Amino acid sequence: MQKSEIRVGGLGGQGVILCGMIIGKAASIFDGKHATLIQAFGPEARGSACSAQVTVADEAIGYPYVKNPDVLIVMSPDAYTQFAPQLSPGGMLLYESDLITLDETLPKGVRAFGVPATRFAEELGRRLVLNIVMTGFFAGVTGLLSFESVEKAVKSSVPKGTEDLNLRAFRKGYEYGREQAAVKN
Amino acid sequence: MTLEGFPQSLALRDGTLVTVRPLETADAKAVQAFYRSLPEEDRLYLKDDVTDAGWWQRFATLVASGEVVSLIGEREGKVVAEASLYRALRGWSTHVGELRISVARALRRDGLGTALARELVKIATRLGIDKIMIEVVENQAGARRMFRRLGFRQEAVLRGHVKDINGTKRNLVLASTDVSHIWDAMEALVADFSPSQE
Ligand SMILES: CC(C)(COP(=O)(O)OP(=O)(O)OC[C@H]1O[C@@H](n2cnc3c(N)ncnc32)[C@H](O)[C@@H]1OP(=O)(O)O)[C@@H](O)C(=O)NCCC(=O)NCCS
Repeated sequence: MQKSEIRVGGLGGQGVILCGMIIGKAASIFDGKHATLIQAFGPEARGSACSAQVTVADEAIGYPYVKNPDVLIVMSPDAYTQFAPQLSPGGMLLYESDLITLDETLPKGVRAFGVPATRFAEELGRRLVLNIVMTGFFAGVTGLLSFESVEKAVKSSVPKGTEDLNLRAFRKGYEYGREQAAVKN
Repeated sequence: MTLEGFPQSLALRDGTLVTVRPLETADAKAVQAFYRSLPEEDRLYLKDDVTDAGWWQRFATLVASGEVVSLIGEREGKVVAEASLYRALRGWSTHVGELRISVARALRRDGLGTALARELVKIATRLGIDKIMIEVVENQAGARRMFRRLGFRQEAVLRGHVKDINGTKRNLVLASTDVSHIWDAMEALVADFSPSQE
């Protein structure tokens, strides 16, 4: 069975869980796949480590925990240091390139794609949408889920009145992701 | 910036159809003609001297740089309204925008001013603006009423701040509306609080 294990890591306040939720929702509700989501929070919320584990598969998922992610999305240096060594061989790292510098923790054979998501979010007008830029970047680079599914999942997950800017953030991340994937493949 | 969802066709209260779209450089003549056609009484209360020869060039530069987002209303090839959102691209007030709206006399009181203001408020929130201001001369009762109905509240009065063409000093009213609350929900959503910890 086709199965992808995804981990999202960052700090509380960056929207890590929202990013995981949207990916899970896009897969299960809009793409007709099976998905599970596990959220992990640090001892305190804002500013402390937090992560989400998402498993997407064609069939029902028996074991929802992500041990060696195929795709790792990281938004903070700590999350990178903690989770990058667990990436499966041939896996993909998607990282916030203004906040994280790659080093030898990255396993060999992993393909890494960076995006200045915070900067993009600020340019769009709200730092808050950084996680949506990352979500778009994920969709663009991996092609794991259809553009439409993730777009719908974004639209239905964000608060009323904020859809417009969030969808722009999504598209910005998506397009940048497509470009980066094309360059590296 | 590119604005999505335009041109729009707007039916005014009396049935008149007006096309609303972003201003383009090719509109120079039509917009200037619109402003020149406004009676002096109206132009008295515009912040800029829109009949000044250099006005269009200055305005077009602001539009090109993104400091101004301008929409125009058009009917039968003529400009019948202009509405702009001014904002600072740098500095400590990048979260603040200012609206300025003018509607041709013949089309007033049919909802065009309100529709343009609403459209610009939408664009402003999209741009990440939190607070929207207007500056109106105290005796512009119509404009003050329209913005009041749109949720703007008086924030300050600057005494004798405006001099009209006759040299009479008038008070300037600053009113504003806060649109940041829509982002509070997003902030809560990305807080990544564990429900059990709240
Ligand atoms: C202010 C201005 C833009 C309003 O445009 P408009 O298309 O007539 O506005 P609307 O039809 O949407 O009016 C909405 C409401 O505002 C109020 N209003 C507008 N003009 C009014 C007037 N002259 N007298 C009293 N109330 C008025 C009314 O409550 C009106 O609703 P109603 O017609 O149902 O009573 C227009 O009068 C204008 O261009 N004035 C000169 C420039 C100016 O003052 N601009 C504002 C500075 S930012």
